[in-house]
Amino acid sequence: MSTPAPQDPKSKAAAILDSLPGSTALSKTGILATSAAAAIYAISNELYVLNAETILLCTFTGFSFLIAKLVAPAYKEYADKRMQHVSGILNSSRNKHVAAVKERIESVSELKNVTETTKVLFEVSKETLELEAKAFELKQKVDLATEAKAVLDSWVRYEASVRQLQQKQIAESVIGKVQAELANPKFQDKVLQQSVADVEKLFASLK
Amino acid sequence: SPLEQFEIRDLLGLTSPMMDFSFINITNFGLYTMITLLVILTMNLMTNNYNKLVGSNWYLSQEMIYDTIMNMVKTQIGGKVWGYYFPLVYTFFITIFTMNLISMIPYSFAMTSHVVFVVSMSMIIWLGTTIIGFYTHGLKFFGLFLPTGTPLILVPLLVSIELLSYFARTISLGLRLSANIMAGHLLIVILGGLLFNLMAMNILTFLLGFLPMIAILGIVCLEFAITIIQAYVWCILMSSYLKDTIYLH
Repeated sequence: MSTPAPQDPKSKAAAILDSLPGSTALSKTGILATSAAAAIYAISNELYVLNAETILLCTFTGFSFLIAKLVAPAYKEYADKRMQHVSGILNSSRNKHVAAVKERIESVSELKNVTETTKVLFEVSKETLELEAKAFELKQKVDLATEAKAVLDSWVRYEASVRQLQQKQIAESVIGKVQAELANPKFQDKVLQQSVADVEKLFASLK
Repeated sequence: SPLEQFEIRDLLGLTSPMMDFSFINITNFGLYTMITLLVILTMNLMTNNYNKLVGSNWYLSQEMIYDTIMNMVKTQIGGKVWGYYFPLVYTFFITIFTMNLISMIPYSFAMTSHVVFVVSMSMIIWLGTTIIGFYTHGLKFFGLFLPTGTPLILVPLLVSIELLSYFARTISLGLRLSANIMAGHLLIVILGGLLFNLMAMNILTFLLGFLPMIAILGIVCLEFAITIIQAYVWCILMSSYLKDTIYLH
């Protein structure tokens, strides 16, 4: 254990004097003198009787002094720490709350032009719907035209085949008639005579 | 006489030739009861730091007392019902605690040293816990007097012992507190008286008397501790009695 540093007697005396009420040396002396006189007067006139309780008063004063010097500072330190702790918790929670409110305000303020955006989105969706309707209409038209073209094409093909058939029939009938005509002896004679005449004519021209 | 300090004196009273009004006399006991109430109210109402969220340093002491008693009741009674009885225990603690501390101030009056007052309180507690026991358990409450697993032959003996100890609580709870406080105050006053006689002899004994005064200061410190401990012990026992009647064994 280290011995405590010796205290300057002058400063000790000054500290005791300072602890007395009053600001000047005169008032301090006055208070001391008055209290001593009051004590003497009270005791001599039996206003205050010295007895066993006086000893207890002294011990109680000593106890109060001990409490004030030893316990009170420790309690004050503990209490201050505790109060700081509680205040710290309250302040931090308040700050957190403020931050949370600010964050909320910011998140809400981001949505401040939500009406405009919704209107635009509605317009766009309306336009999309109109375009979709138009596209559907056009698709229907195209489908109709395709179907009509297919029908017409089939008609054309049918007509062509009918025509081809008719031409074939005509050709067959013509060929048949021609062959029948060729099989006719009169016609054969006539052709022969004609041919002979043509040959004679040719020869005659050559001469 | 050292016993003078415990005398109850009339401070204020009405006299009438027609009727005896002594029952409304204000005695030193009545005065100190009011002082106790005033101190408790002051400590609870004037220390809230102007209704701020964080109390003053004085308020913290009240909070500490509250917390200590709450933890004690929670540990002693436990279960789900401890909260019902906590206000009662706390009220008893703060009252006895304040009375004991006030009694330590010189020239004051020790209310808790009066056996009739303290035993009345302990009797009220005993009666209350018994009523709670019968209200909660009906006739099964008598099971409290018979520990489980007792051999049949020992039943009459054990029941009579348990019954005796149960009835003894009426006196023992109060007597413990008042005997402690009375003994402490008597000791201090007797020692003070002896020291005063010693110091009054001559200047040499006056100067020498400061040495034993330090010893008396030590005893005063001890007495302060006893006053606090006795209030706490009262509450522990009260909670323990409540636990017995609520949960039986």
